[in-house]
Amino acid sequence: MDDYINISSEEEDECFSDRESYDGLDNEESDSQWVPPKPSSIKVITKESILAAQKEDLRRVMELVSLREHHARTLLIYYRWDAEKLFSVLVEKGKSALFAQAGVPLVESLDPDTTLSSSMVMCNICMEEVSGWEVTKMDCGHCFCNNCWTEHFIVKINEGQSKRIRCMAHKCSSICDEAVIRSLVSKRHPDLAEKFERFLLESYIEDNKMVKWCPSIPHCGNAIRVEDDEFCEVECTCGLQFCFSCLSEAHSPCSCCMWELWLKKCRDESETVNWLTVHTKPCPKCHKPVEKNGGCNLVSCICGQCFCWLCGAATGRDHTWSSISGHSCGRFKEDVVKNSERAKRDLYRYMHYHNMYKAHTDSFKQESTLRETIREKVENLEKRDPSARDFTWVTNGLYRLFRSRRALSYSYPFAFYMFGDELFKGEMTEKEREIKQNLFEDQQQQLESNVEKLSKCIEEPFDQFPEEELMNTRMQVINLCVITDKLCKKMYECIENDLLGSLLFGIHNIAPYHSKGIEKATELTVCHTSKACNTGPAIKPDDDINGCTLESYQPSGSGSSDQSGCSSRKRPRMENFGGAFFDLNLPAEVMEGN
Amino acid sequence: MVDIARVQKELQECNKDKDSSGISVKLKGGNTLTHLVGSIPGPVATPYEGGTFIIDIVIPDGYPFEPPKMQFVTRVWHPNISSQSGAICLDILKKEWSPALTIKTALLSIQALLSAPEPDDPQDAVVAQQYLKDYRTFASTARYWTEAYAKSSSVGIEEKVQRLVEMGFPEGMVRDALNAVGGDENAALEKLCS
Ligand SMILES: [Zn+2]
Ligand SMILES: [Zn+2]
Ligand SMILES: [Zn+2]
Ligand SMILES: [Zn+2]
Ligand SMILES: [Zn+2]
Ligand SMILES: [Zn+2]
Ligand SMILES: [Zn+2]
Repeated sequence: MDDYINISSEEEDECFSDRESYDGLDNEESDSQWVPPKPSSIKVITKESILAAQKEDLRRVMELVSLREHHARTLLIYYRWDAEKLFSVLVEKGKSALFAQAGVPLVESLDPDTTLSSSMVMCNICMEEVSGWEVTKMDCGHCFCNNCWTEHFIVKINEGQSKRIRCMAHKCSSICDEAVIRSLVSKRHPDLAEKFERFLLESYIEDNKMVKWCPSIPHCGNAIRVEDDEFCEVECTCGLQFCFSCLSEAHSPCSCCMWELWLKKCRDESETVNWLTVHTKPCPKCHKPVEKNGGCNLVSCICGQCFCWLCGAATGRDHTWSSISGHSCGRFKEDVVKNSERAKRDLYRYMHYHNMYKAHTDSFKQESTLRETIREKVENLEKRDPSARDFTWVTNGLYRLFRSRRALSYSYPFAFYMFGDELFKGEMTEKEREIKQNLFEDQQQQLESNVEKLSKCIEEPFDQFPEEELMNTRMQVINLCVITDKLCKKMYECIENDLLGSLLFGIHNIAPYHSKGIEKATELTVCHTSKACNTGPAIKPDDDINGCTLESYQPSGSGSSDQSGCSSRKRPRMENFGGAFFDLNLPAEVMEGN
Repeated sequence: MVDIARVQKELQECNKDKDSSGISVKLKGGNTLTHLVGSIPGPVATPYEGGTFIIDIVIPDGYPFEPPKMQFVTRVWHPNISSQSGAICLDILKKEWSPALTIKTALLSIQALLSAPEPDDPQDAVVAQQYLKDYRTFASTARYWTEAYAKSSSVGIEEKVQRLVEMGFPEGMVRDALNAVGGDENAALEKLCS
């Protein structure tokens, strides 16, 4: 899609980077008080931090429900990593119901190894007598030989069921201990063990309502985690901005549903629209496209205006055709004008909104090239007056322009659906709709005119202006920034409260307006307390888990108790994991697809 | 790799009590343990009573970690069994299979399915509709099919016909030959070869 609006943060950062002091100093904008920037609640999870992020949630559940790690994971996978939901089920229905549903055994054999001895045991799967050392008893109490368990695990992992491998016993719904799976499978099939590991790890992203892969192509390897509100727009550290809810481009104040419909509409209509641009001419009065009817070069618009197809100029109604050269038909049918069918009207309506949307998207694209010019202008100004003058108003103005332009352009598809018949026909009376549409369009138009003013100001060659005129432009830009920000906010309020808020069904949620633009996700840092590590044995000490698997798996559990800092050790610790293990740059199914 | 040892043990185990259970499993032919034929008696007090039902069993490579593939050879009128192909809709043969189950337990489950159809999860929609809407007609059709296809006389014939057809003789000729010699398979074979 070439209409994609994306303010790349990389460039934005670059713009600020050599002037560190600019950050947060935009107090000439609406913020009168300087507030220290609070860390974003939106986190980016990289291949280095996915394990840590998962462990963080695991630990919470392990502590609160006091159970072992793989059981905590089984619970969390069942509840799609929604720890709050899990806790509320625990409170409402109790531990046994919670456990039974998810396949966690309520009573664990506390000492799973005592029953095993050197005596021979009958395995009910292969029907062989095997030595007690070669069998494994799961938490549910079912005991089979290691060969059979391994075979079972391999079949299940290959079937893509890694996240919930059930016990082999008939009608036993208990989920197998992942440590056992890992250790047994890695002995026979190390690469499959890796695949298993990867599935478990990625469950944190794939089964988690609050975490999603960044939709960048090629994929940047990151996932984004939000808190509280999934209806938001985020910017990944790779620079991509997107709607967290539908993973499409950021489209607020359009709802996801409206945006999807709009994209489809644009695709479906593009041919018609192309056809129209060839076969229609805009009416000189109302600017709607008018189709030529037959060979007659005198055409009339539904608004009543007649005009000459050849030159596009307005004509009088009764006559003038003798003056149109080549005109031969002597008839003029007025009813053609009146009977413009509904379909056509709908199309014109769509074209109006599409044209406005397109106009703003196009302006946005043109303005994007302003970045360079603006940088030059600021440099010129600094050269002119080296006494460290503050030119933040220039860059602030530019980014205010981008943000407002964006809101404005997406407000057109919003309006198309809000006041059209497609979605809310039964929700409002004609009268209500008219009142609401007027209210909205007033705000939209105010915003529009101020955005255009701001655009004009920014494009002026103010770096060549004499001092006084420069100060004038500066004041204008600063004022327009405040005004457009306020108007954006008001337009959103109108949409959220007066328009969408009054609807019966709240399926149309929009990402809220952020004066400072789309929120940037910050790197996740996990602090773990030593206390957490000691609760519950994450891995049974006498479990035969050897080699790299354990090493790579263990880190945030045991052994980190001496660690007080959080990010300092992160990289070297995870290096082993990311490098020697597997590349998380791509989601599993992409890898598999290759 | 099929666990040959286990299949062998299962066969021994199963045929030990075949007189009491009525369930038997035999090799399909040749020496391969991967293609078997099971036989279950129709449960009493059902339209299938008195019939003997032949089930084709294919043991997949992953057995017992993957379910055996089972299908009716004997034609049967039942909501969960295709009246055309003999395909069976039974959870333990699919998602609910457990390596702890055996060929015999699977056959027992099929027998149980004959007693207790599950029309809400049908394999044969036509039969299921009839079962739900017109049980009397369903029961009489099922009984008729049992009579026609699953009675000892017919089952013997059908098996013999199948075997001889597999040897490469046309079905019509096989039936004629068997009829002529009173059902003796060897005599029929001689007749066919002569
Ligand atoms: Zn075994
Ligand atoms: Zn079990
Ligand atoms: Zn990204
Ligand atoms: Zn969306
Ligand atoms: Zn017009
Ligand atoms: Zn004409
Ligand atoms: Zn003209």
